[in-house]
Amino acid sequence: MAQFDPIEERAVEMLDDLHLEAVRAETVGDDDERFEFILWNLCLRGVPVIERVCATRGKALGLSEQEIELATEDAAARMLLRLSRPEPQPQVHALAAEIAAACVERSWPSEGGGGPRLSPQTPKLRLVSGLTEAIESGKARPNDWESS
Amino acid sequence: MSTGDDAFERVFWQALNDLKQGTDKPIEEYLRLVPREDRTELSRLLADVLLARGPAPVPDAPESEGYRRAVAVVDGVLGSRGSAGILPGALKAMRNARGIEPERVVERLAADFQVEGEEGRRSLARNYHRLETGSLLGSKLSRRLLQSLAAVFEVDPAELLAAARPARNGPALKSVPAMGRSAGERGPASDLDRASLPDPEVELVERLFHGGPDA
Repeated sequence: MAQFDPIEERAVEMLDDLHLEAVRAETVGDDDERFEFILWNLCLRGVPVIERVCATRGKALGLSEQEIELATEDAAARMLLRLSRPEPQPQVHALAAEIAAACVERSWPSEGGGGPRLSPQTPKLRLVSGLTEAIESGKARPNDWESS
Repeated sequence: MSTGDDAFERVFWQALNDLKQGTDKPIEEYLRLVPREDRTELSRLLADVLLARGPAPVPDAPESEGYRRAVAVVDGVLGSRGSAGILPGALKAMRNARGIEPERVVERLAADFQVEGEEGRRSLARNYHRLETGSLLGSKLSRRLLQSLAAVFEVDPAELLAAARPARNGPALKSVPAMGRSAGERGPASDLDRASLPDPEVELVERLFHGGPDA
């Protein structure tokens, strides 16, 4: 990575997301040596979002820890690609979330043909003691689809 | 520079450093360190910095393995930026993350460009390897090659094109001579000439990887 005046580096780090994106769009096509540093800073702001989205959505979809980590790596590389485009990009957190969601939701080999994925959690059932006696004594009624 | 100026600058940078490291103290403590007449200016400067910085981040859980790996990807891809921009690093990172073997990429390219012979496939494998290791010029990659790669990795071809833009200080590479160019007005090729002509599939592969965007 190119070396900069520390004051300039600090100035870049202190920019808010919108300003940093504006500087990225300005430097991306100009062969500007600051571009790499700007890209690095934008990515560092997007990575925590990627990590969080992949972890939460990945768990909800039943992906393994390893699959979640792979989706995180995939999303990080794709965010770099997106931020290399000359067109203005959405705010980095929104961009990172969008890319991470797409990476988690792609079809995974473990899905076995992309069929519907069932929740990995076993249903929590609770036995109610004394239910039979309650039904017999009329205190409770069995479920009846016609009357309920 | 006067002693007052010196103190002002030192305190300002100290406040910035503390902010950056999350060890910032109440503003009054910094103001106390500069002469009274400089306090208004320092408070204004620090207010500007705080405004630009926005709300402080919520303390988060310690860095997870996923976070570390994502940062490592960003670091690795940017660190390998060269004559083909960040494309080599990004391709490799996506390939690893998606568990795609290089042979699969080569197979797909071979199918897309109807490369069926042994020589042609070997040339594809060699050139793809050179692309991933950053030995090729991004500006010489053909658009149809990038389109085919974009389909393999499920990305927009425009992103691969943008990512292949060479870094400013990328290593200077020798250009590869284009193969199979017309030699001008010549008679029919002799047996010797025919033996030294490149395989048409190898020639196609060379054009894809070295012939420029329109090849």
